[in-house]
Amino acid sequence: MDYILSILIFFPAIAGILGFVVDKGSAKAYGVSVAAIELLLALGLWASFDTTNPGMQFTEFSPIISQFGISYNVGVDGISLFIVIMAALITLLGIILLRDDTKNMKNMIVSLLFLEMTMVGVFLSLDAIIFYMFWELSLVPMLYIIGAWGGPDRVYAAVKFFLYTFAGSLIMLVGLLAMAYLFHLESGIWSFNLLDWYTLKLTTNQQFWLFLAFFSGFAIKVPMFPFHTWLPWAHGQAPTIGSVILAAVLLKMGTYGFVRFSLPILPDASVTFTPFIMALSLIMVIYTAMVAFAQKDMKQVIAYSSVSHMGIIMIGVFAMNAEGLGGSIFLMLSHGIVSGALFMLVGVIYERTGTKIMDEFGGLAAVMPVYATVFGVMLMASVGLPLTIGFVGEFLVLLGFYKVSAIGTILAGTTIIIGSVYMLALFKKSFFGPVRHEKNLGLKDLDRRELTALLPLVAIVVWLGVYPKPILEPIDNSVKALLVQMENHAQLESTKEAIIVSKKEVK
Amino acid sequence: MFIDPKNITMDVLNLATLMPMLIAIGGGLVILTIDLIKENIHKSLYVMLTILILFVDLGATLGLNFGPNEKGFFDVMLIDGLAILSQVLILVASVLFIPLALTSKRFHEYSYPEFFALFLFMIAGFQFMVSSDNLILIFIGLETASLSLYTLIAMHNRHNSFEAAVKYFTMGALAAGFFTMGSAVLYGISGSLELYQIAPAIQSRMGEPGMMMFLLGGAGLLLTAFAFKLSLFPFHTWAPDVYEGASAPLAGYMSVVPKIAAFVVSMRIFEMFIDLQIEWVQTMIIILSVLTMTLANLMALVQEDVKRMLAYSSISHAGFVMVAIALATEKANIGIFLYYGLFMFTNLGAFAMLWVSRHKHRVHHARYDHPYEKFSGMVKIMPMGAIVMGLFMLSLAGVPPFSVFWGKVYLMSATIDAGYTWLAIIMGLNSAIAAYYYLKLVVYMFLKEPTEQVTKETTYYNVSKPLLTILGLAVFVTVGSIFYVDPLIEYITEMIRATNFGI
Repeated sequence: MDYILSILIFFPAIAGILGFVVDKGSAKAYGVSVAAIELLLALGLWASFDTTNPGMQFTEFSPIISQFGISYNVGVDGISLFIVIMAALITLLGIILLRDDTKNMKNMIVSLLFLEMTMVGVFLSLDAIIFYMFWELSLVPMLYIIGAWGGPDRVYAAVKFFLYTFAGSLIMLVGLLAMAYLFHLESGIWSFNLLDWYTLKLTTNQQFWLFLAFFSGFAIKVPMFPFHTWLPWAHGQAPTIGSVILAAVLLKMGTYGFVRFSLPILPDASVTFTPFIMALSLIMVIYTAMVAFAQKDMKQVIAYSSVSHMGIIMIGVFAMNAEGLGGSIFLMLSHGIVSGALFMLVGVIYERTGTKIMDEFGGLAAVMPVYATVFGVMLMASVGLPLTIGFVGEFLVLLGFYKVSAIGTILAGTTIIIGSVYMLALFKKSFFGPVRHEKNLGLKDLDRRELTALLPLVAIVVWLGVYPKPILEPIDNSVKALLVQMENHAQLESTKEAIIVSKKEVK
Repeated sequence: MFIDPKNITMDVLNLATLMPMLIAIGGGLVILTIDLIKENIHKSLYVMLTILILFVDLGATLGLNFGPNEKGFFDVMLIDGLAILSQVLILVASVLFIPLALTSKRFHEYSYPEFFALFLFMIAGFQFMVSSDNLILIFIGLETASLSLYTLIAMHNRHNSFEAAVKYFTMGALAAGFFTMGSAVLYGISGSLELYQIAPAIQSRMGEPGMMMFLLGGAGLLLTAFAFKLSLFPFHTWAPDVYEGASAPLAGYMSVVPKIAAFVVSMRIFEMFIDLQIEWVQTMIIILSVLTMTLANLMALVQEDVKRMLAYSSISHAGFVMVAIALATEKANIGIFLYYGLFMFTNLGAFAMLWVSRHKHRVHHARYDHPYEKFSGMVKIMPMGAIVMGLFMLSLAGVPPFSVFWGKVYLMSATIDAGYTWLAIIMGLNSAIAAYYYLKLVVYMFLKEPTEQVTKETTYYNVSKPLLTILGLAVFVTVGSIFYVDPLIEYITEMIRATNFGI
């Protein structure tokens, strides 16, 4: 399986092209089969993955534009492995959850498969231009999914989503090109290979500007406060499957970009910018949590809570120690699972009632007990209850952050409190009390299709909440390698300090 | 270095350098003769004949010896790598363009063999223009090509086509005036019309008092002339009207071929000034290009007609590429040709899609042929057409891995290498602005419901097998660019290195 990564990337795309030929009625079954095979392939990758090796594995390299140093270069390490598996899993479950009467099912399946290619491609690319290619391409199917199947303002939301991210990433592209030029000055050859870039020592001034360029691309995608305004629009208008993939996978591209590009290539600037990023992240955590509490629309609550949790992930990334960074990568996975599931659950109730306003519901626990249970589990995981998947990541991040700033940790810790406030309020309004509308009495509980999509997620939430070791270990190995790389690479003593302190304390 | 009139031999004349142009001109005459002998021949014969002549022309061009000092015909012809490269691009674009005449509906201009003869004369003009560093021959080439082009536009035989032709003619005459005056000033300073003699002459007189005034006059007038030809701000105002009046394929052709020719001459002239360390020429070009791309983008945002939008977008792309002239580095020069080599297929494809949907009557809008509404819900009516047009739009917007992206990246990279990071950021932001209006068409095609007038009959009105073939080729080149950019860059680099301009 030497070419397993290429197969993983291009299998969905080829399947997408072939999907044009598949009959309309069988489109969903086709999509499920393809996504299932992709997931199996991803699991196969995990099975053959050497968990003790922290470096890049299964690397492939073939020059594409050798004059300009662009090559097809992919590889996987503990950081990207699980995100890829998560992306494949969420795509599969999302497709399963699609209603059979979705209009233009075939177009939907084809776009989802192309989207899957771009998602997997982003996380596996080791060449900056190839990374950028998948990064930009991911916008196109998402634009179509939001714009064609979304709510009343879908076109506005879709275009806003596209332009916002596109503008940011073009600045990032300037940064990437400048980076390649600096590498060329230093070594005399053109290269966009990340592993080459890791060896380049840049002055603090260069790092400063490059960091800003990268930041504009990644921060909009995360989305960091105050660049988050496109996200509530996109979530508000997107169909369920769009929100699920957007929250679970696409947002992770931003944080992944920070981990893969900003930290190892620009360690000094990353440390310089840490207070700034931390401040933004803390605002993001607390402010959006409060905004979430003020929402009447169930989906908006989850959208804002998702932004709030992305803030915790950012804090972990810039804690610059094994706990924080490892925790934030684990949190990326758990956030993907949990927010994906929550958006699915909102979609379920929306399909039944045609509304997402919490005041319209009430008493659903009596009418739909299974639904209420699943919702409850996911809600607990989102809040970060021990023994759920949400706890592990959040705890590690806060632990890592504590070494950087105790006060900051307390502030960030409020997210758990505010989080439980708005989540429990949501739960109370929708599931307890009297049934507000007569017609809600007749709501059907989860059917087989929905259970098939949701139960695996419940199982994962509990499994990884109780026993996260099989995933934490490979992540931890790669994260430590990354930190060592950062430390060796740093120019300033102060940077080395910021990184080294916590590395020694790693158990 | 004048040739001694007594010792002219065939070797010195090197008449082979004239072959490509003679083939085009001869071919045009053949077409006219055929019409004399037998009337009412179907246009397909002329189209195929033109393609064949262009292929012979291409072969003759590729067969030429070239080098930095490969001169011919009393030393006015200069067959360097640049000349070969640009002629190849011009001929390939022409081969792509001419089959678009074979529409299913009959259009006025193609029933005249003169159309094809003029077309070939125009190509000969462009070929003269790019393969000379003699200002007079450049001027003759420019005027031959332009006069033929005006006529081609007018032959579309609609009111706004006449308007377009006259407008273009007037503007072109103005530009020609500026060009001759600029050349006269250069002749006044240096006593020569050959660029390779002008450069050292200027250099030796640089220190003289008042010299800068003359240079300002010369360079300023020439820059104005080329700003007209390249439709740079503020001399761009003719472009949208002319594009709108011309038939869609001709508009697409105009957005590529005359610009390539004008860029080649600009490279020869302005990079000479820049190499002479005359900094304000560089500053002026940078200002012009920034204004051009930004303002054209902003204008494109508010257009209601797709063809006008594409006209403004072509202006903006020209502004983008103009940056490379100001940089005057090898990489930037490679970037120009890479950009236009890739942009050519995509843009011609986009205009060809407009041509497919061209209706004899304006069924969608009283004022415009191609309003956005015409394309609304196109994915439901002709899914392949919508996908193809969508691909072209994404490529023009610079979404990787489609063709124009590589040109953009290469030029932006050249800009950064030259130390103009801020300029690269402006270029990037402009691409983001541009994405909006390309996306607008995508939104209309994919996300809106079809209006009543949008039917297969009106959107597929003009389709035919040759059009589909050209579209298929354009899509193939646009999508598969990642696989051939490398050899393309290699070829362009080799050609650019075999040139002789500047000092």
